[in-house]
Amino acid sequence: MQHALTLHGVTKRFGSFTAVSDLTLEVPKGCIYGFLGQNGAGKTTTIRMVMSIFRPDAGSISVLGQPDAAAIKDRLGYLPEEKGLYKKMKTAEIVAYFGKLKGMDRSTANLRARELLTRYGLGDWLDKRCEAMSKGMGQKVQVLGTIIHEPDLVILDEPFSGLDPVNRDVMRDLILDMKRHGRTVLFSTHGMEHAEQLCDYVMMIHKSRLQFAGTLAEVKRGRDRGIQLDYDGDGAVLQQLPGLARLNDHGKSAEIYLAPGRDPQQALRWLLDHVTVRRFDYREASLHEIFVRTVDDANRKLAAAGKEG
Amino acid sequence: MANKTLLVAQREYLENVRTKTFWLGIFIVPVLLAGVVGVSMLLEKLKEVQRYSVIDLGGGDLLARAEREFRSADAKAMWRLAAKMQDDPQLQELRDKAGATTAGEPSADQLKAVLDWVGRQDAKDLARLGELGASRRFEYVSTQQLGIAATDPQEVQRELGQRVHKGELFAYFVLGADPAKTVDDFRYVSNNFTDVGLRTSYESALTRVVQKDRIKAADIAPKVAAHIQEQVVCKPLQADSKGGTADVKKENVVDQWAPVGFVYFLWMAILGVASMLLTNTVEEKSNRIIEVLLSSVSPTQLMQGKIWGIAATGMTMVLVWVVFALAAGWTVPTLLGVSGGSAIMAVFMTLQNGGYLLSFAFYFLSGYLLYAAVLVAIGAACNTLKEAQNLTQPVMMALMIPLLSMVFIGQEPNGTVAKILSWIPFFTPFTMMNRAGGPPATWEYIGTSVLLLATIWLTMRAAGKVFRVGVLMTGNPPKLREILGWLRQS
Repeated sequence: MQHALTLHGVTKRFGSFTAVSDLTLEVPKGCIYGFLGQNGAGKTTTIRMVMSIFRPDAGSISVLGQPDAAAIKDRLGYLPEEKGLYKKMKTAEIVAYFGKLKGMDRSTANLRARELLTRYGLGDWLDKRCEAMSKGMGQKVQVLGTIIHEPDLVILDEPFSGLDPVNRDVMRDLILDMKRHGRTVLFSTHGMEHAEQLCDYVMMIHKSRLQFAGTLAEVKRGRDRGIQLDYDGDGAVLQQLPGLARLNDHGKSAEIYLAPGRDPQQALRWLLDHVTVRRFDYREASLHEIFVRTVDDANRKLAAAGKEG
Repeated sequence: MANKTLLVAQREYLENVRTKTFWLGIFIVPVLLAGVVGVSMLLEKLKEVQRYSVIDLGGGDLLARAEREFRSADAKAMWRLAAKMQDDPQLQELRDKAGATTAGEPSADQLKAVLDWVGRQDAKDLARLGELGASRRFEYVSTQQLGIAATDPQEVQRELGQRVHKGELFAYFVLGADPAKTVDDFRYVSNNFTDVGLRTSYESALTRVVQKDRIKAADIAPKVAAHIQEQVVCKPLQADSKGGTADVKKENVVDQWAPVGFVYFLWMAILGVASMLLTNTVEEKSNRIIEVLLSSVSPTQLMQGKIWGIAATGMTMVLVWVVFALAAGWTVPTLLGVSGGSAIMAVFMTLQNGGYLLSFAFYFLSGYLLYAAVLVAIGAACNTLKEAQNLTQPVMMALMIPLLSMVFIGQEPNGTVAKILSWIPFFTPFTMMNRAGGPPATWEYIGTSVLLLATIWLTMRAAGKVFRVGVLMTGNPPKLREILGWLRQS
């Protein structure tokens, strides 16, 4: 059995609204898999179906080789997008409680909760109430509650949202740790840099439909290469670059895509004349670019289909 | 599977029981109740002594005899008390001189001795004995004591009237000139006509004296008179299945106020505990923790766990109250003497009857489960307490019915209204508790209980469905029609 998760033709509707439509996907074991998509694209609904919180209207889902995720709930770990804790419970208690709910026995759960919290820098907070913690700490506690029972498949919905850079690094290390222990980690994110740095595989869903899925290399294959530019000066002038197809200007840096057949060498020469170039890189498109273009293309297609209809 | 329900229930229970507010809430109810009883008793004690005067137009000994008769009920009570409390040194004199016994009536001489004795006692010492009615509340002042020198009855009455008007006197009586012939000229003059205690007690004392005189005047032998005046008392008996009769068992004599007290208590307990569940569910939902939980337990397990966890919380609360009530039930009546006729006292008295507690526990649990199922479903469908309050309004309105009808049903425990309400499961716990004084037939108990349990089962199932769908819904609260739609799904 090679796949931690298989979805086949999965569809979920809420009344007249289709949240997920005909989704087919395979998540190999032991990888880190990124779910990308705009807000409301259908990521969370997909995840909830995987967790058997929702039942799909059509299609089948197999989790860890089981058609019924409810039967193997104890081998899954889940961190929902909206994160909450029992405010009045003590940190160690709540982490242990999550473990017990996953079938751990009392003493093991208590012991392991304290150990995990201490390892991840919350040793001083073991017997303090959750309401006293900052958001970042609360989120850490939640993640620890998600993985205390050493699940085979961990699903994290927006694990990086609302975290400061230090805690983002902690979260990243946690995810990498889990992969190192042979677990499969699936997470959804809006942060393309996290997906790019961490994921073996990514998929993108837009308005309920799957846009692409595969390894990072597969996703990037066949896309336009682009210029990654760091610069000083007036960014407005970049619009006048001869042969410019598309521009993502960030103020101090920019991604530039040229029309087919245009020479990046000429573009460099032109740029040297107009701004102070600090870095020039001609490389494959970033995930960010791919994301934005996919959304654009998909919307254009939908609009066209709408006009025809 | 059941293990997870238990885990949820356990956490729920511990979280509630660990808070200070929970214990504060538990203890405040008995304290408040004790306070209410205490204050009402204190108020009774604080009631001002009513001073009254009497002017006798007849000029005979009517005044003195009426006064003695007025006090004699107290004297009789004191006379019996002296026999009952053998060890009390203050009452020693009564036993020695008045020959007090617990049974029988004191003779005229004995009564006079008691009255003399009462007159010599300090008011505080008498209050300690707590058996005196008239003596404690009403004080006779003669016209001389009031410093009225006039002898002309018109003049005396005018002076007394002024004193009543000024508030120095509560009232004065005018005894008629010739009570042997007519009592038309007897008067009661006061400015307070709401507190009729003095007037009615004094009137009946006067009646007894006048009757006695008239019997004597008519030359009727006292024995004959007593025979004629004898009151009819029907001996209460119970009928059994064979049509025979037996003495009424003590536990079947239930004050009509006792069930009312119980129903009110039941109502408070069910409403309190069930709304705890509602608040808790809505909070947990808005807390977002529910989704994490649902990744580990099924919605049914979660709902059941919550319901039972809070049931345990409620049972703890009720149990503590019952312990308090039992303690009070055994001590309060003996402490105060069984004179108190208040509803609370009646409840305390009936508490000594175990069957009541058992049915209270049953109706509490079943009533709670029924309302819990409804409220947990509402809680799951709403995002804020405010939304939930709108949806719970019909439930609250329905809950008013047992409260509004509880006095009526207490009086007519086997009436048509009581019988009909018993068969509506949402009212069964309250109504059946309310009818305990009846008591209802055994088949009614069994039938309504079966219907109640079946309804609980059905409501729980429906609640489970609503909970499953509603608990992850956000946005606008669902309309009733949508909720009904969820019931048809899955």
